Amino acid sequence: MKRGLRAAWPIALGYFPVAVAFGALGAQAGLSPLWVQLTSLLVFAGTSQFALVGLLAQGVPPLLAALLGLLLNLRHAFYGPALRPYLKGGPVEAFFLTDEVFAVALRALPTLPPGERRGYFLGLGLGAYLSWNLGTALGALGAQGLLAFPGLGEALSFALPALFFLLALPHLKNPVALLAGGVALGFHLLGQTAWGLFLAGVIGLLGKGLGERRRP
Amino acid sequence: MTLALLLLALGTFLLRFLPWRAEKGLKAGQAGPALVVALFLVSAFGPPPSSEWLRALLALLGTYMGARLTGNLGLAVFLGAGLYGLLGLL
Repeated sequence: MKRGLRAAWPIALGYFPVAVAFGALGAQAGLSPLWVQLTSLLVFAGTSQFALVGLLAQGVPPLLAALLGLLLNLRHAFYGPALRPYLKGGPVEAFFLTDEVFAVALRALPTLPPGERRGYFLGLGLGAYLSWNLGTALGALGAQGLLAFPGLGEALSFALPALFFLLALPHLKNPVALLAGGVALGFHLLGQTAWGLFLAGVIGLLGKGLGERRRP
Repeated sequence: MTLALLLLALGTFLLRFLPWRAEKGLKAGQAGPALVVALFLVSAFGPPPSSEWLRALLALLGTYMGARLTGNLGLAVFLGAGLYGLLGLL
């Protein structure tokens, strides 16, 4: 588990400012710090949490806001099957399965002995979870001034793109991955990021089938 | 409102858990690499295309150099993020 916790620090670095912003947004929307914190403790999925709080602040009915948040998380359904060859998913592992934890685990798990994989994954997830919740608490309690130091907030906001870049490097010659990435980027530029990521997952699934049919 | 929170929490958990647990369920194919590349692109390049993309590209170059020089993922991310912050101050 220690190895996973150590591997989590780039994720934690990237999560922290986003979580502070989330906590601050919740407080500005008039939600109690406890409710905002519960969102991070129970959901642990940044995009949908932002959507939930933002929609509630705009007066959208709560159940509709939750369903829209769930739509944003549809892509998560692809992560477990991609990790399945390396690790059997239990409830605790699944709870920690964010975008970033998935991407780091996909790279690291195949290189680890099977006996160490669960501990590594749990350490990775726990490190990310602690950072997300610490940031949320500070933001909800009004400590967003922590990021006011010139350049610091912006620098930290780039930690996750930099991490995803290093994790994506080995796949940049994979035509299916490039096609999926292009489609996701196109949808992202049109303001439909969640659907783009979902379609990227679908293209990845279909890509395997196409590849198999091409083989003699 | 709390019911909405619980619904989102439970639904998100099931979206993560059920496909992972199902032995005869969804076959991943190349979904892993496809999603990692997609996550990279959408996180690094915000709409609309702008000079911010050049800043991001320079910071990614710094990240890459950091990874090549140190061989350490975390340190390379730290260097890339630091460079991005510094470029914003120029």
